[in-house]
Amino acid sequence: MTGVAVVGAGVASPMLGSPADLLRPPAGRVAGFDPAALLGGRGLRYKDRATRLGLLAAARALEDAGLLDPATTAGPLVPPAGTGVVVSSNLGNLDTVCRTAGAIAAGTVAGASPIDLPNASSNVIASSIAIRFGLRGPNVMVCNGASSGLDAAFLAASLIGAGRVRAVVLVGVEPVNEVVENLARTPARELFDGAAAVVLEPEASARARGAVPRARLGHYARRASAAGSAGRALGHGGPPGLWLAGRTTAAPPALVHVHREDLEARLGAASGALGVLQVVAGACWLGDERDGPVLATAGAAADGVSSLLLTSLGG
Amino acid sequence: MLAQAVQRWPIAGLGAIASNASGAAPLFEALCAGHSGLSPLYGFDAGRFRTRHAYEIDDRPAGADVPGRATQWLCEAVAEAVHDAGIGADLSGIPVLIGTGLRELRSIEMRWTDAADFPLSRLHFGPALRERFGAETTYTVSNACSASLYTLGMGADLLAGGAGDTVIIAGTDSISMSMFGLMDRVQPGAVDRVRPFDRNRRGVLMGDGAAAVVLRRDGPARAWLRSVALNCDARSETAPDLAGITAAIADAHTRAGIEPADVDVVFAHGTGTALNDEAEAAALAKTFTGTGARPLVTAIKSMTGHTSGASGLMSLVVAAQALGTGRIPPIAGLTDPAGEAQDLRLVTSLELCPDAVLAQIQAFGFGGVNAVAIVEKGDR
Repeated sequence: MTGVAVVGAGVASPMLGSPADLLRPPAGRVAGFDPAALLGGRGLRYKDRATRLGLLAAARALEDAGLLDPATTAGPLVPPAGTGVVVSSNLGNLDTVCRTAGAIAAGTVAGASPIDLPNASSNVIASSIAIRFGLRGPNVMVCNGASSGLDAAFLAASLIGAGRVRAVVLVGVEPVNEVVENLARTPARELFDGAAAVVLEPEASARARGAVPRARLGHYARRASAAGSAGRALGHGGPPGLWLAGRTTAAPPALVHVHREDLEARLGAASGALGVLQVVAGACWLGDERDGPVLATAGAAADGVSSLLLTSLGG
Repeated sequence: MLAQAVQRWPIAGLGAIASNASGAAPLFEALCAGHSGLSPLYGFDAGRFRTRHAYEIDDRPAGADVPGRATQWLCEAVAEAVHDAGIGADLSGIPVLIGTGLRELRSIEMRWTDAADFPLSRLHFGPALRERFGAETTYTVSNACSASLYTLGMGADLLAGGAGDTVIIAGTDSISMSMFGLMDRVQPGAVDRVRPFDRNRRGVLMGDGAAAVVLRRDGPARAWLRSVALNCDARSETAPDLAGITAAIADAHTRAGIEPADVDVVFAHGTGTALNDEAEAAALAKTFTGTGARPLVTAIKSMTGHTSGASGLMSLVVAAQALGTGRIPPIAGLTDPAGEAQDLRLVTSLELCPDAVLAQIQAFGFGGVNAVAIVEKGDR
């Protein structure tokens, strides 16, 4: 992931006014938060909540990266064929899927609504972002469990590293609705409802067009345990200035004394959005010129745990 | 023809399961023999639907659906591919990329309708692959109907980037009630079989299935992976787009360092819907007309149904064996080619083609996600 930089960032959530809020004490809910109204424009009527949240975060990240004209909130200022989209979400379309299956199981297929067809496909968030902003590069929907957001960052950087794209819009999003509450067996107030997004771009090409990168993606690893993946991502470097990890995650010796931030303790369970929230938080931390690097860790012991290092651009 | 600068990766092992056969070689033989997996719908209560056929894997007690089937087939296909490649079944440290349209959504539907319990943590496939193979570097990508060819491209990128010597690519899908029902709802009428490129096609029918391949840096090859092109139409949530598909095909050729005229056989996406078949046939005509080449065109969904995200890699597993044996399976039931397909060299019965070297495999998904792969005849 040599030289892949975080260039712009955006969030879309009733719990967050701006990316910097990720590292501040909670300020309460944003009054009257309505992603469709904030986005404006056509084509939003039948979009599910996850897609609306993802679109808004993507628009804000593109604008922050200097790749979107804020007056039109429609792209692209980026090369369309050279820009990809990678989205992480586990629960995004479960409401459409379960409502549709429930209607059929309770009656017949006549109870299923044809307008739900696009939202029944799990990649609707990623493809909707491509359609709105005209992004024709590879378009990838990652649904990889608790580590999904960090894995999506790795896979996005891999698309850049392979020369397939010049930039990637990376989004992590999870919606809150009755279906999610029920399936997660968690009340809404303990679930994150929102999206985070960044634009990833080779550092050199970002600078060449006058953009100011916020952070650089460093080593990444997915391993059986948090200690294994964190150790691998840190390599032989010194301890990070910040560890973004769950408060119950067992700290390996190198991380015992490192300042830790548990974003989910503040925002609620964030599932597939977590890793991208961590990337945004880490980029904000480094952008404030606080001590780097930042290590982000997310995952589940029975599945796999991923860690990603974010490094400062050194002035 | 083969530019030295172009990289190619050995496809060292194959695995597959579908409604008409279990195992990569039995699947290939079934397709060559024209054996379809079509049957009356039995996983769901047929009385609730207009469409009452599907291509289901028969592994359930009569009249009762069971959860976790996509996961089960995935594990079987991966085990077969790993055995075929002779690399042992401990996959710790080996990346596994799974492409799927529908994850374990059918199992979640069953939980929602109180038909079964199923943990949300098993909606993706990492935990099962960890349990069965010790795999810890697993990625579930839910990219609609091109998912497993997408993960093939992303897996090849990992090898190109220098990460390890082996990656495993897989695809798996079981028919979900929501997608089956919504497809039933939007198609003009009941569909009784998949008839790609036939004038009398009535639409698409879903199928169950999984496929897996082992991709390596060096060593013997059942076939060589020459390239995978990935793009997105950025046009429509559900309709294919001629420009996007044509661009993906051209990019696959460029990446493989070949000319259109070098392609011997196309494994089409071929879903049997007017929307797909017209766009796909037009893209093939645009690509090949005037190049002096008229590759054979076949479509396995005529016998496997549309296995969603698994379908692209399943076509590739078949293509590898077709090049290896010189036998190209037909489009079963094709009798009257549709207007747009008149100029295609459609395979209507088993073709013997011992000189075929290069195959082009296509998969297109909802959201305009296109993937096109080029594979070359292997050495074993």
